[in-house]
Amino acid sequence: MNAIEVHNLYHQYNGRILYADLNFSIPEGTICGLLGKNGQGKTTLVNILMGFLKPTSGQCLVLGEDSHDLSPVVRSRIGLLHEGHLAYEFMTISQTEKFYRGCYVNWDPEIFFHLIGKMGLPHDQKVATLSCGQRSQVVLGVIMAQNPDLLILDDYSMGLDVGYRRLFLDVLHDFAALGGKTILVTSHILQDLEQLVETMIFLDSGGIMQIGLDDFMSSFHKYVFHNAKELKLLKDDVVSGFEQRGGQSTLYSFCDLGQVQRHLISLGVHAEKLSKVEMTLEDGFIGLMGKY
Amino acid sequence: MLYSLLFKEWLKLKRYFAAVLLLNCGICLEIFFNIRQQMYAEHAEMVWYQAIHIHSLLYQDIRYVPLFTGLVLATAQFVPEMMGRRFRLSLHLPVSRSLMLFFSLLSGVMLYLIICGSTSLCIYLTLQKYFPIEVAQSSLSTMVSWVLAGLIAYFGCASVLLEQSWPRRVFLLLVFVTLVKMLYAGFGYGWLAPALPALVLLAPLAMFSVFDSARRFQDKGV
Repeated sequence: MNAIEVHNLYHQYNGRILYADLNFSIPEGTICGLLGKNGQGKTTLVNILMGFLKPTSGQCLVLGEDSHDLSPVVRSRIGLLHEGHLAYEFMTISQTEKFYRGCYVNWDPEIFFHLIGKMGLPHDQKVATLSCGQRSQVVLGVIMAQNPDLLILDDYSMGLDVGYRRLFLDVLHDFAALGGKTILVTSHILQDLEQLVETMIFLDSGGIMQIGLDDFMSSFHKYVFHNAKELKLLKDDVVSGFEQRGGQSTLYSFCDLGQVQRHLISLGVHAEKLSKVEMTLEDGFIGLMGKY
Repeated sequence: MLYSLLFKEWLKLKRYFAAVLLLNCGICLEIFFNIRQQMYAEHAEMVWYQAIHIHSLLYQDIRYVPLFTGLVLATAQFVPEMMGRRFRLSLHLPVSRSLMLFFSLLSGVMLYLIICGSTSLCIYLTLQKYFPIEVAQSSLSTMVSWVLAGLIAYFGCASVLLEQSWPRRVFLLLVFVTLVKMLYAGFGYGWLAPALPALVLLAPLAMFSVFDSARRFQDKGV
């Protein structure tokens, strides 16, 4: 069964079409990363899935219900992390726990206080006075103590230093290890996602590409070669992305080395020392989506 | 769940509630001392003439305080929800949007009524001390229209704060300002008394405007 299903999603904002006909699904028990450059509609899509925005047309099902009309029971099964680690800043840590304890039947205070305990903060400290990283732990504690079946995390890494990011990832890994949990996550820190996600959805110009992380990393390749001339290679069936820095050119492609070599020759490009090199997810993202 | 919702609203409101309650008490005390001073300094006939014959309200200073109280309580409740669009946190709670909002408004209205009820009682007791009971009773019917104006202002302020579209905000503002002005249009004792039963029944309907703003917030939550 799918935790999230999007059918024929069409949405426009201020006359600009963000999605023309978006279709994808995220099976239950998987961890999916939603990737895209700024302005491609990631947050808008997350807002639609979270039920805070009504799409122009199309259907979004979250745990089997229309995302814009989720029943309280289904909402209790979804943990949401809003961009900027949104929390009630007028509450103290213990008031936050007391408030949410009364809202969720499956609330586990031990999980909440375990995460808070890692920071050694007094429980009567106001959320407004916490640093971004500390606030992220409070928000994470709130979400985890709900014991949700589906997590939707909108840019969890925003404003976090490496320590808090790692802490966040550790908790997400432990959560995923419980089994049957679905996570949809967006982040600009791709090396984090590389350690976490199983599938990825690339969002670009209103279209998407959904692919498994392992499939992507094994089928998408990064090639480098030397060429003294200034080159401009446009996207085609072989070239997915191209960049040149100094005398070194980098080409991204789903094709193997032989195909790329033949293609470059056919284009009249002298590719000296053409070779396949190791690629990170961030490289792959740039290769597929471009820099800007 | 309901306890949690009321708890959250109390956390937002408690300081502002205490502040406006103090303000109301302060003005009630001022009115009490003013009337007492007048009774000592002037002839009783003069005070009677002013109060009864020329309808000079001796508790005029409290006139706009319920309005201020309503605006302060609505601001205290809904500005924190709008900052960073935190209202999304409330909308995701496992409770229906209408019920969540109803209890938010209920907590604000209850505190508002506690303040206005206390104030009205203070004014009533003050007048009862120096005037016949009929004068004290007429203060209640006079102040109900001001209390209703404050209630309408409370709902209006909540509605405008939750509203996302500027043209609608301006429209709501115009509607609510007109309603409030209407309730403040007259002077003298109980000038709106004949219409009060109907107005008391109609005023809570302004709550639906808040529900509609919340619905639009969710529909256009970019």
